[in-house]
Amino acid sequence: MKQRIVAASVLLVLAMLVVVWQVNRLPRPVVITPTLTGQEEYCLSCHADLPEISASHPIESFGCVLCHGGERLALEADLAHSTMRGGRNPSDLAVAELSCGGSECHTGSPELHRDHVARVQTSLQATYAGAITSIRYTYGAQADLTAQKAISAVQALHPPEGASDSRPRALDAFNPAKETHPFVQAFGENCLTCHLQAEPLPGAAYNRLTGCAACHTPSTGRDPEQPLHQLTTVIPYTQCNACHNRGNYDLRQMNFVPRSDSSSDRMHDYYQPIAQFTRCEFELDCVDCHTRQEAMGNGYLYNNQAEQQYVQCKTCHGTLDAAPLTRTIQDETDIALRLAYLNPDIPLQVGDTIVVTEQDEPLWNLRQLPDGSFEMITKVTQVRYPVPLVMGSGCTQNPEQQESNYCHACHAVQR
Amino acid sequence: MRPSFFHHLHPPTIPARQSRLRYTLGAGGYSVFLSLVLVVSGALLMFYYIPTPEQAGPSIQMITFLVPFGGLIRNLHYWAAQLLVVVAGIHLLRVIFTGAYTAPRRFNYLLGLILFVLSLFLDFTGYVLRWDEGVRWALVAGTNLVQSIPRIGPGLYRLVMGGTQPSPATLTRFYAWHIFGLVVIMLIVGAWHIFRVRRDGGIAVPPPDQRHAPERISRFELVRREGLATLIGITVLLLVAAFIPAPLAAPMSDVTAQTADARAPWFFLWVQQLLKVGDAFWMGVFIPLAVIIILGCLPYLLPAIPSTELGRWFPRGGRLAQIIVAVLVVAILGLTILAALPTGT
Repeated sequence: MKQRIVAASVLLVLAMLVVVWQVNRLPRPVVITPTLTGQEEYCLSCHADLPEISASHPIESFGCVLCHGGERLALEADLAHSTMRGGRNPSDLAVAELSCGGSECHTGSPELHRDHVARVQTSLQATYAGAITSIRYTYGAQADLTAQKAISAVQALHPPEGASDSRPRALDAFNPAKETHPFVQAFGENCLTCHLQAEPLPGAAYNRLTGCAACHTPSTGRDPEQPLHQLTTVIPYTQCNACHNRGNYDLRQMNFVPRSDSSSDRMHDYYQPIAQFTRCEFELDCVDCHTRQEAMGNGYLYNNQAEQQYVQCKTCHGTLDAAPLTRTIQDETDIALRLAYLNPDIPLQVGDTIVVTEQDEPLWNLRQLPDGSFEMITKVTQVRYPVPLVMGSGCTQNPEQQESNYCHACHAVQR
Repeated sequence: MRPSFFHHLHPPTIPARQSRLRYTLGAGGYSVFLSLVLVVSGALLMFYYIPTPEQAGPSIQMITFLVPFGGLIRNLHYWAAQLLVVVAGIHLLRVIFTGAYTAPRRFNYLLGLILFVLSLFLDFTGYVLRWDEGVRWALVAGTNLVQSIPRIGPGLYRLVMGGTQPSPATLTRFYAWHIFGLVVIMLIVGAWHIFRVRRDGGIAVPPPDQRHAPERISRFELVRREGLATLIGITVLLLVAAFIPAPLAAPMSDVTAQTADARAPWFFLWVQQLLKVGDAFWMGVFIPLAVIIILGCLPYLLPAIPSTELGRWFPRGGRLAQIIVAVLVVAILGLTILAALPTGT
């Protein structure tokens, strides 16, 4: 009996050694307590290799769970990830209100331009109302080009102003199954791949996430399995190209035909073969001229892209008898300074005079220099461009004709 | 050698045939061992567990992933609890299949049956303390069974749940029952049970040829055997706890939300399967209660087993009881397997 007890004791000691070895094999928690939540998180135990998502979202303030959800104290992958919002992408529009929103974050007051999450739901990039309307009108599903349907049902944050304002008050959800014309149904099945809620087409050239990150996490050209942990307002044109300039609808087959050419340089990367364009349109990035309200909406619903997009050549270059609109930054609270703060490569300070749009949105990277001339610093590439004015240039434009196709008549680049 | 405190917990000598492993299966002793493990590991868990709906899940995650050896202690508690149900069940079957439930041991048999039911309640209340998505169905469906009892159901439900629906008070009630109410009853009935083993003349009457001047072993030998069994038990339990983690899911977000995914704890899977085919009261309350009552009535309603047949496995005089219990066991195992199979197969 004694021998058996000794043997069992030896076995127990061995088992205890194995147990200690096994327990030590388990990951040890790396604990952070983000100041915004005050709650411990162990996420960095496994995710220490992730870069900080942006300078505006420092890990010591935000941690991980505030945006991503998940089980903050779990060190077992399945459990830890089981309650994450939006899987790998908490900015998907289905959950963006919970992840990115909140009155302290991006669902703040409209006056301070902090209502992004609500506004973006009304933007054409989310509603896709223009394309849906155009197709439904073409095949007789609706009598005019006033938008009726959107990807999801949506209410305008601002109602249309007056009887002559054709902007919709609300849009119903587009449901291909309820459409009668087979081409409209086919459009619904084959062509809805580039709104903010849509998963992208396969291929690195189309690679993007959904929701806010569709634009703010530049991912084109990358492996979709290796998403980037980055948020930025410095959005290169390549990210816009994940949806724009990537092919055409074939209205006979009613499917999407990706562009077949493989561009070798930026000029050929930029536009469809038949399109006309000027130098600034392929040397600058889209975000150098196009504004937040154009891309993310301003709370109104629009019938099509032409209604929402209002920046024109004259916004930067002025007209025959007027320089572009400008504003001198009076104090630290100016929105232009807040925007410029996110891009430290562009110095901007109180007292600087910047160009503004007709809707008073700042083009904060386009300044008037002390000598009266204008200079743009590109947001992505930090190249300085002098901005020539129409006024005093010898341009023979008809002042009534400000659309780009009139300017392209003289200024288009030949390929 | 003067007997120590632990030796004094045992009779000076017991018949050798009564203490053979192939007769006892060691199940009663292992039940005591597992209960002790549960008390110690449970006491350690109490230092960290926070019994509120918001903090229950996070505090268990903290125990599991942050507290040094916390995961091991939790796993030990979990596996000891599961094994206790199994081992106590084996103990119950041993008593029935050796005829040890007949007079004069039939009252102690009832005490043992109560202990077995208590261990199921302890297991279920402990399971609910996880307060995570994995237990919601069992909590909602299990306690709704209480409500289905005619007349007293709604009142009993409020008593169990601390309200008319699952709420923060429910967690407090389950916690109080788990660490105090049921444990106190278990300790009293358990002590009584062990006392009655000695008072009734040991765990069973020896076979007839051994009844007069039988070969006996001393309490020193008995304690050594218990020590050996304990060493083996701890070794196995430690290894299981180190390598097989206890289940854990995301904290329950809304306790009143419906869940389509029916998942009872394994020892109630047979009841879950019964509920698929019939009324909640008859299938979920009446039949389980009937099983307990049938088991409890065996020594009182069936004819006594002749003394000459006692002391060995499967005495002829206990055939009817053996068949009844075997049928119950097969039915419960069958229903459990059916419920555990993936749906659709």
